[in-house]
Amino acid sequence: MSLVPGLGIAKGMALTLKKFFEPKATIKYPEVRLDVPPKFRGRLQLLYDEYGTLKCETCFQCAQACPIECIDMGGVDTKGRYHIHWGAPETYGERRDESALRRSGRPVPNQAYEHFDPIHPDALMAILERFDFDPKNMLHILESTQAEYGHLPVAALKLISQKTGAWYAMIYGAASYYRHLRLEPPSAEPLAAATADARAGRETTFLASFDAALFGGTAPGASHGTAIAGAESPGTAPGAGPARA
Amino acid sequence: MTAMARSFSRLTLGGKILFTLGPILFLLTIGLVLLIAIAGKPIVDFLATNIWLVRFVVAATAVLLMSVPTAFLIIYMEMKIIALMNLRIGPDRVGPFGSLMSVIHGLKVLAKEDFSPTGADRLVFTLAPVAVFMSTIMALLVLPFAPGLFGADMNIGLLYLFAVSGLSVVGLLMAGWSSFNKYSLLGGLRSAAQVISYEIPLILSVVGLLLLAGTMSLNQIVVKQGGWFWNWYVFQQPLGALIFFIAATAEANRTPFDLTEADSEIVAGFATEYSGMRFGFFFFAEYVNVFVVSGLIVTLFFGGWNAPFPWPWPITLNIDPGSLGLGLLFAILIVPPLLILALAAPFYLGRSSMPWWQALIIGFVLFNLLVIVAITGWAFVSWNWVAGLMVFLGKSYLFVFTFVWMRGTLPRVRIDQLMGFAWKWLLPASLLNLFVTALALVVVNK
Repeated sequence: MSLVPGLGIAKGMALTLKKFFEPKATIKYPEVRLDVPPKFRGRLQLLYDEYGTLKCETCFQCAQACPIECIDMGGVDTKGRYHIHWGAPETYGERRDESALRRSGRPVPNQAYEHFDPIHPDALMAILERFDFDPKNMLHILESTQAEYGHLPVAALKLISQKTGAWYAMIYGAASYYRHLRLEPPSAEPLAAATADARAGRETTFLASFDAALFGGTAPGASHGTAIAGAESPGTAPGAGPARA
Repeated sequence: MTAMARSFSRLTLGGKILFTLGPILFLLTIGLVLLIAIAGKPIVDFLATNIWLVRFVVAATAVLLMSVPTAFLIIYMEMKIIALMNLRIGPDRVGPFGSLMSVIHGLKVLAKEDFSPTGADRLVFTLAPVAVFMSTIMALLVLPFAPGLFGADMNIGLLYLFAVSGLSVVGLLMAGWSSFNKYSLLGGLRSAAQVISYEIPLILSVVGLLLLAGTMSLNQIVVKQGGWFWNWYVFQQPLGALIFFIAATAEANRTPFDLTEADSEIVAGFATEYSGMRFGFFFFAEYVNVFVVSGLIVTLFFGGWNAPFPWPWPITLNIDPGSLGLGLLFAILIVPPLLILALAAPFYLGRSSMPWWQALIIGFVLFNLLVIVAITGWAFVSWNWVAGLMVFLGKSYLFVFTFVWMRGTLPRVRIDQLMGFAWKWLLPASLLNLFVTALALVVVNK
């Protein structure tokens, strides 16, 4: 009870009158549509293409880009934070294997629902110490680990992630990006090498036809055309070279 | 017969209405013409000698017709203003800014089943909303809207007004009792207790004003408040005005005293068993009552149809269109299209994206608005009843707004707080007001 009777009522009335004149936040949706940010994609979900196959290529770019690490392929959260299972685990595993195989021709183990083989960590710890546990040296670490163990076991990647603090998704992305790194023992290599060779052949023929379509004729002799072709070949060499070797 | 029924059933809705109403109107016109031809003279003589009868019938019709848009407007105001205060938009689909929403409400109520419970006293059940509605309408009859614009200028106008608005208690009790439902009966009794309790301070708070005014005629009370705004009785009777306002809030069953049908707490009090248009009448009466109470506050304490300053009421504008002769005809033909074009031109020239027909439509609408404003302004300065009506309605709707504003702000009081406030605070305060006013009058007159 205030000193002046009715002061509270007056205050309340003043408040409602102020709100009366305030602009309203309501957006009359069907008529008025809000401008959403250009990269807004709405709800998180996996899309299917027109043939009914999953569009997800398991490239892990989404997991790397997610600032709070709520996206995690396979539902394994490396830091014990939020993660999203996209669908039931068993179907997810199948989808993931299928799409990964479709992409690379290598079988990819599902870390969440298949036990991975243990490794002896001493050699890996030595390598990590040599590179100062620094995730900036990730490519060197991975190359040394492959040189030590013959391939990149899942357990090694896990340990690297744990010791360097890098996300497992990023390490896996790096390991699966470079063709000279392999996630499987070399026994499965011939198949992958054959696939890689076939792809490289297709690329060469495509580039040749592309050049022909661009610059007309088989040998135009135009200076910039050859310059581009010359610049093109060293760029493709590091990626394709070791795989062919 | 069957052929006629079949062909009638094949008509569209408009055709059915036309074929039903057309002959009836035709027969009525014939009958009226015959009546005037045969018995016109005696009827006119009778009406001329009993002009009060004509006035009464016209006033009652006008008030009944006026109550419908008034209720619609207040319902719309309630929905819209409370929505805006709640940071919502409120009705905005039907009509401009949703203003026809209350018409849709009325149609909805009309289309609902008119249900009466088993065991109800059918006659009393039907008459109860009529009694409530009638008391409100009868109160509207003596309200002075403008100089010369009122149903009846009774010398006991205020007494009559309190008497007929007190009749609504009978309607509430009838509704509660005839519903054959003990909760309705309790609700009715509770409403009656509230309304009767608040009627006492309501009337006592006006007695001081009556001492000052020396008359009970509402028209005279308004006339006595003419001139500058400090002649209004609110400045001589501030306590009385406050008590009257609070008691009138309770009398009109408005928040924070709307316990008779607290929508969010009890079902509907006395109106629990009502549906359809019978409930609609209660609803209507409530909202017309808000207007009556607002108009009464304005009439008694805020100068009625008097403007806040001495208004030079009738101004004669020396406009004689007839003096133009044939030129008037040409002006009527030429001026509107020219004005429309002139009003449309800035939109067409200023916005390159606007097609010419849209600019023309805008010009046409603007022209009509201009004409309406001009005619209203001309009527405002020429006839003092138009100006008075506008001032009165403006003030009244200001108070309607205040009631709605209060509903948007204040929580509902408890029943014991409600009764305790009436008997412990309002009644002594109104008695004090009466005593002080009487004492001051005696001292001043001595």
